Amino acid sequence: MKTSFKAQIITLLIAVLGALAVGAVLLLIVHANPFRAYEAMLFGPFSDLYGLTETAAKATPLLLVGLGIVIAFRSGILNIGAEGQMMMGALAGTVVALNLQRMPGILLLPLTLLAGFAGGAIYGAIPGSLKAYFKVNEILSTIMLNAIAQQFMVYLLRGPLIDPTEISYGTGFPQTQQLPESIWLVRLIPQTRLHLGFVIAILMAILVYIFLWRTVIGYRLRAVGAGPQAARAAGINVETGLLSAMVLSGGFAGLAGIVEVLGIHHRLLDGISAGYGFTGIVAALFGRLHPLGVIPAAFLFGALMLGADMMQRAVAIPAAIVQTIQGLMVLFVVGSDIFIRKPDWARQLLGIKLLKKKSAMGSYPNNQSPPLVPK
Amino acid sequence: MINQLLEFSTIIGILTTAIRLATPFLLAALGEMFDQRAGVYNLGVEGVMMLGAFIGFWVSLRTGSSYIGILAAIFAGVLMGLLMGLVSITLQAEQGISGIGLFMFGVGLAGYLFRITIGYITNIEGFQPIKIPILGDIPILGTVFFNHNWMVYFAFLMVPISWFILFKTTWGLKIRTAGMTPEAADTLGLSVVAIRYTCLVIGSVAAAMAGAFLTLGHTNMYADNISAGRGFIAVALVYFGRWNPWGILGGALFFSFVDALQLWVQVLGLKIPYEFAVMAPYVLTILALVLAARRIWEPAALGKPFNREGD
Amino acid sequence: MKKVALSVVLIMVLAMLLSACGTQTASQKIKIALVLPSTVDDLSWSQGMTEGVKAVQKELGEDKVEVAISERLGNPTDAAAAVRQYASQGYDLIIAHGSQYQSILDEIAKEFPKTSFAYGTGYQAHDNIFAYDPQSQEGAYLQGIIAGKLTKSNIIGIVGPIEAGDAIKYNVGFQQGVKSVNPNADVRVAYTGSFGDIAKASELAKAQIDAGADILTGTAQQTVGAIKACAEKPGIYWLGNDMDQSSIAPDTVLTAQAYNWKDVVMQMVKFRQEGKIGGEHLVLSLGNGGIQIVVNQKLANVIPADVMALVEQTKKDIIAGKLTIELPK
Repeated sequence: MKTSFKAQIITLLIAVLGALAVGAVLLLIVHANPFRAYEAMLFGPFSDLYGLTETAAKATPLLLVGLGIVIAFRSGILNIGAEGQMMMGALAGTVVALNLQRMPGILLLPLTLLAGFAGGAIYGAIPGSLKAYFKVNEILSTIMLNAIAQQFMVYLLRGPLIDPTEISYGTGFPQTQQLPESIWLVRLIPQTRLHLGFVIAILMAILVYIFLWRTVIGYRLRAVGAGPQAARAAGINVETGLLSAMVLSGGFAGLAGIVEVLGIHHRLLDGISAGYGFTGIVAALFGRLHPLGVIPAAFLFGALMLGADMMQRAVAIPAAIVQTIQGLMVLFVVGSDIFIRKPDWARQLLGIKLLKKKSAMGSYPNNQSPPLVPK
Repeated sequence: MINQLLEFSTIIGILTTAIRLATPFLLAALGEMFDQRAGVYNLGVEGVMMLGAFIGFWVSLRTGSSYIGILAAIFAGVLMGLLMGLVSITLQAEQGISGIGLFMFGVGLAGYLFRITIGYITNIEGFQPIKIPILGDIPILGTVFFNHNWMVYFAFLMVPISWFILFKTTWGLKIRTAGMTPEAADTLGLSVVAIRYTCLVIGSVAAAMAGAFLTLGHTNMYADNISAGRGFIAVALVYFGRWNPWGILGGALFFSFVDALQLWVQVLGLKIPYEFAVMAPYVLTILALVLAARRIWEPAALGKPFNREGD
Repeated sequence: MKKVALSVVLIMVLAMLLSACGTQTASQKIKIALVLPSTVDDLSWSQGMTEGVKAVQKELGEDKVEVAISERLGNPTDAAAAVRQYASQGYDLIIAHGSQYQSILDEIAKEFPKTSFAYGTGYQAHDNIFAYDPQSQEGAYLQGIIAGKLTKSNIIGIVGPIEAGDAIKYNVGFQQGVKSVNPNADVRVAYTGSFGDIAKASELAKAQIDAGADILTGTAQQTVGAIKACAEKPGIYWLGNDMDQSSIAPDTVLTAQAYNWKDVVMQMVKFRQEGKIGGEHLVLSLGNGGIQIVVNQKLANVIPADVMALVEQTKKDIIAGKLTIELPK
């Protein structure tokens, strides 16, 4: 029995309302008006051009990171190293851009983006090959590699890459000088932060969709994710599959990093990854691990993050409430997913009598997710 | 500098620091091991640690007793474990994502509660070191190993206890079955759901205690983000230790030893950029695993929700 | 799949339809917004500024000054959204309290030419951007003198966060201060690699103490962990930074270099009232009272009178320009 569209929406709404209801208690304790708070949080991002463009600007890195997560996940890897891969991509792109400043922008921009992708890809190749050839679990290696990337980036930013004026003024803040304006990603609407990267991200989503479902390599990757043993039996090189998945996954995170640099900050500075590495995972999973599904999911998450910050300002509450409510949303929505995936089982849970006709296993969508931790 | 590093007092210093640093990793990772052995993995350890750290601190501050504080932290751990169980076991949610949700919720809630209950940085007595009679008097070893507060001893004692539970009791066998072949466990009449819930609660309690160690047994204060990513390292150490308490002990000690060493190397005068020192434990942990045997084993049903009806 | 996507889009459309309209109230008040990297209760950088702004509000009257605060916006991406929203809500003075906010202010300030923005530690003041710049090396130098004179082991430990910005200025000034009175003293600099990991700072402080340091100092919000670690060992003293931190360890914190944020904020408010909405590079120094050395009165007798006199004299020399502290080039 397929869950109807209406039922899906109702489930999602109930889950969100549930999270908000719990959050309201927290708000009431600090004497904040939950209605005003939620008004700012839910409608703020959509109420004007500023909110909408800012949401899209936030959705851009989320989408790019999310695409990488989708590729990895489909190949049977949970990539929680996107934070580090973003930093490495941003670093690689920035180094290229700073050293080839004289090059015309039309050439330098693609080169910088490519370098960003390559930086992330190489950093993704590390856990990829460790997993494929040394059986080092990717959760372990990526957690460690995130911390390493953070230190490595700060080292370069305060040393070889630092903006010379930071030294001459003695402020010493670890950031590079501004990149040449010729390679900034064009702002699509003046006076907003919506930049060309948003379009790039959407194009990439389509590209990844075609790659995963319309090419042989994409098929192989998905086969590896669906079952390594079966894939091997079918003559697919599982190791190469795992490695290429992580290379691509890291590449997209790296692209997200350099797009943030070129579109938002115009220079590299600490804090560039801004937690997108983790929220990107959530966005990817909410997008049903489908490249096109990640588009609305990233947009929704961008709005949620922005709206939550707006709520903090609307009713003057501790910033920590924002994170609490975001966490609640994730828990409620992911928890409610079963009502969509397996309505029968969920009904049984609720004590409602199981429908007579036991549904086929088809309650999973076609693109059923592979087991999270591959064997 | 090398000379100084090899001095007795320095070595004692490094080892003592390593033991203290290892304690929260050990507690949280042993707990997470139970989760994963039963087939559930919890990426939200960091969130549970933060909440445990705060609740433990707050209750200690209000009641004046760190023992009541630790009990409160344990209670918070139970609740967080049940929450994770509800979402990940009963509602069969994707565990990677529910873990991240739990992480955000825990970190946020701890920060929020801190603001509304205390709201300024203050400190408490905390647990004082207890010198173990006789053993504590052994030169060097006594200082390094037998002059800590009870939570440190507890964490290290949990290693053989966990090993015993897991490999020498029927209950341990049940846990492992639930993680390896839940279908078989079900056929044998075991309640996979109950086993997994229990293990999640154990894991969460351990994580909350790890957090409470930071506030009650280590820094004796609470500040925003006190856990600073330790929960994630603990999860990584479970993989390092290959779901074996002794392996986890090795991983926690190795990571903490390198960390302690790099702090001391910095203090004694370092000629390379400090960032590379800070990186050292992370780099070496990966390398150690690469160089170790390539044989790997993990609970076969890890991460897969169990559903008697079948999918 | 499509349906999920569609449902999400539908919700967004719904949200847009129900969108609320913002309210704008014109008033004579000056509206100050504060964007903080850490929290209002971190007992250092962010709390210092918060108290400064609150003090201005108290002095000018609650009815004259409105204050809004957003915390935990350490990464510049989220901070930019906050700054922009405050600007569009008609705040007059928006203080983004960190060096990392320079780029975002450059961009946003152009779009809100009537709003004043401020950031620091920084130097790039523009038309409507104030940059404030605490000369933390100056107070650090004075604390270095105290440390150099008071150390018995001739070992002084620094618990640093990340080697950048204010931490460099502080450490360089401190080391020069120590050397000026005690060339034999060994100042050991070590970093935790993080601004907020108080447990790591605690361990680093313990390592410094075990390795022989008897006077310690350091910067950033992580230091509260180090202070507590010092407090557990008798005879160890801590020299603080950012603000008076003696409340957590009254028997350990000797002095602190405290930034007088109130004056800076007051100055910016005054500039605005005079029609000057930016372009000033505001220096906090010993000379203008922007930096003060706060002595913990409970431990005032620990510092001998002659040392205090030397500190006072050096302070005068720095103010008079007779002594300058070189920063690394």
